Amino acid sequence: MSEQKELDPSTQFRQLYDQEYRSVYRSIRAVVLDSAAAEDLTQETFVRAYRARDRYTPTAPPGAWLRRIGINLAISYLRRQKLARFLPARLYIAPDRRDYDRAEARDVVTKALTGLSPKLRAAVILHYYDGLTREEIAQVLGVPAGTVASRIAKAVAIMRKAIGNDQDWEPKRSSSEGALRGR
Amino acid sequence: MPSEDDVTRMIRDTVESWKPQRGPDWPDVLMRLASTGPPAWLLYTAASAALVLILITAFLVGSALHIGALAPQEIPSHLP
Repeated sequence: MSEQKELDPSTQFRQLYDQEYRSVYRSIRAVVLDSAAAEDLTQETFVRAYRARDRYTPTAPPGAWLRRIGINLAISYLRRQKLARFLPARLYIAPDRRDYDRAEARDVVTKALTGLSPKLRAAVILHYYDGLTREEIAQVLGVPAGTVASRIAKAVAIMRKAIGNDQDWEPKRSSSEGALRGR
Repeated sequence: MPSEDDVTRMIRDTVESWKPQRGPDWPDVLMRLASTGPPAWLLYTAASAALVLILITAFLVGSALHIGALAPQEIPSHLP
């Protein structure tokens, strides 16, 4: 996942924060699909990790440990958002999605990710972006490795279909151009 | 339809392009650590204990002072 030197959370937490901040942020953002919420949840991830730093055991790299905290926070956040919709209108203030719709849903990958459930998004991002194995993802999400494999296969099938149907998708685009040309 | 490799590459390219607006903010982490209140489980436990205490006290006071439904009920002595 990372070729950088592994840092000890109990003694080098500040360096770990600087080193892992962006990748933790990206993993969380891929699950919540909201940049502002992702930044807040990333900070909260490091707060929780800091409190638990003495309980960290080096069975997994610190980056995977942080992602575990972050992804679970992101899924909990989305669950709370879903439950909050059942509250009376006066108690629930829906987040303003206009900026998100305008700025973030314009690329084909984000639109395809929107079509997945948070758990499928988490499996996809941990596998294809963070490079975790199915067993490592199983540990992060607390589900069997077989479930992870089926979630990844299902998510990729949905994304391939969604991207293929997207009018903005250009087949055979070179990798150097990236998925966000013109952003 | 894109191949799985295409999807993988596109995911990586897109996610790599995401940059936090504020960026790393260590002082904010420290502020959050400093302003943390009691844990939620402690609040819920304390609130539950307080509620139980209020109910028991109300029962004891009501039965001792013969208030409301806890007062001795009048039993009809003249049956038709």
